[in-house]
Amino acid sequence: MLQTWRRGMRMYFYMIGVSIRTQLQYRYAFVMNILGWAMTYAGTAITMWVLLYSFGAIEGWDFWELLFLFALSVLSWGVCVVFFFHFRTLDQFIVQGTFDRFLVRPIHPFFHFMSMKFDVGAFGQFLFSIVAVAMAYHKLNLHWNIWQWFVFLGAVIGGTLIQGGLLIAISAMAFWTTRSERVYWVVMWPAKSLMNYPLSIYPRAVQVLVTFVLPFAFVNYLPAMLLLGKTSAIFPPYWGFFSILVGVIFFWLCFQLWMLGLNRYQSAGS
Amino acid sequence: MMGTLRMYGAFTRKSFQRAAAYRFDAWTRILGNVIMLFVWGSIWYALYRGKGSVENVTFSSMLSYILISQALQGIHGAGTPLWEIQERVRTGDIAMEMLRPYDYPLRMFFTDLGSIFFYFLTAVLPLYTLLFLILNPIRPTTLAQGVLFIVSATLGYFIRYCIELTFGLFTFWLVETGGVEDIFYFSISLFSGSVVPLWFFPNWLEHLAFYLPFQGIYFVPNSIFVGQLSGQALLVSLFTQVFWLAVCYALLRYVWAKASMKIVIQGG
Repeated sequence: MLQTWRRGMRMYFYMIGVSIRTQLQYRYAFVMNILGWAMTYAGTAITMWVLLYSFGAIEGWDFWELLFLFALSVLSWGVCVVFFFHFRTLDQFIVQGTFDRFLVRPIHPFFHFMSMKFDVGAFGQFLFSIVAVAMAYHKLNLHWNIWQWFVFLGAVIGGTLIQGGLLIAISAMAFWTTRSERVYWVVMWPAKSLMNYPLSIYPRAVQVLVTFVLPFAFVNYLPAMLLLGKTSAIFPPYWGFFSILVGVIFFWLCFQLWMLGLNRYQSAGS
Repeated sequence: MMGTLRMYGAFTRKSFQRAAAYRFDAWTRILGNVIMLFVWGSIWYALYRGKGSVENVTFSSMLSYILISQALQGIHGAGTPLWEIQERVRTGDIAMEMLRPYDYPLRMFFTDLGSIFFYFLTAVLPLYTLLFLILNPIRPTTLAQGVLFIVSATLGYFIRYCIELTFGLFTFWLVETGGVEDIFYFSISLFSGSVVPLWFFPNWLEHLAFYLPFQGIYFVPNSIFVGQLSGQALLVSLFTQVFWLAVCYALLRYVWAKASMKIVIQGG
């Protein structure tokens, strides 16, 4: 058991090494990709700034708090992109019949598919979110103790697992409907933007939905409340501690869904 | 003349039929559109809570602004996406288009028209009619206002189309447009007033926006729709739209002429 794991890990690192080198081949495209992502997020942040210019605050969150909230979700999304972003493209493999090759190799198909790409473009997300978090930390005069740093770290890990889980769940849809990439861009991408603003602006039913069904609340809102000393009418303040736990459970459920789909998979054509 | 029109009309008809065949795609797209509408509606609702009017704009006007803006964005989004044009340039498929006896920019426009008609009739129109009836925000009060809105929105569509296609054609020189593309998209989304109207911008940024072509895409038609733009200011805005359309169209023609001369096909 241990040996299979070690062998698996070795193979994983070997394969992502190959993936990184491929992406580095086109140096100009590589740099542009990173800058592009960083600028996309900076653009959203600028829109927030413009929005709050006339209004001052939204539900008691001023610009820097809002920026922190947004950057926290982008940070974990960055980690998620590194490992799982290419899961959205599973439909192409199924439609073209190239998914079969993941089934005939002596490595777990999920692991194999995951190791296909190590998306270095995510450094754009890191670039933006780390700068933004640092700026907000400074502007808001925050001084976290060790426990708050743990909450922060927990939010990043939990957020990665929650968003990664969702990508895997969308990818699993391809086993049934042979569609995943489009679903990601037209549904998950807009749905993810729910998180950019404090969840208290939404109707109560939606707040419940993004807490218990699609646990976006644990990605940034609940931990950010704890880290910025905010209170909410609905959520107890200590819920922000549970990001990792929720992340692990949600990821496990999504992984099971993916495996269920995999068992149902039938190759396309001859 | 009639023959040409009939030929382009065939593209519209075909793309309408194709959109009808892939109904599922159109309807998932409307789902994304509604989610964004919901997000922005909630944001504006929260911003206006406890406030009567900000910068002389009431929540009812703002709700109307967001609704019509999302409806227009839905229509704009139903055409050929930018990446598809770029992909055609990169793979060299565009050379095939050039061999054929039609004008590519015009052909693209008529093709887009077909999928837009389908999307408009089956998704945008019924949905937004319903939303306007339920939410009952401010609407155009006179027929003239409604007609001017349609004229302005149409001009806005052409402006966006020319700008986007011109940008897509830059792929002929750049091949990889990554970072530039993101700045481009960001400029369109902010300066066109697609989500935040220019009234709420800081003064210097508002001035900047007024000198850019993007405000003609959504901001002008939306403002006419909610009645924030009327009288002489409205005529000036319409004139500005026409001016920018002429500029953007000339630019598109110029870039297209240059691009046709400089075709580089990747690979063998």
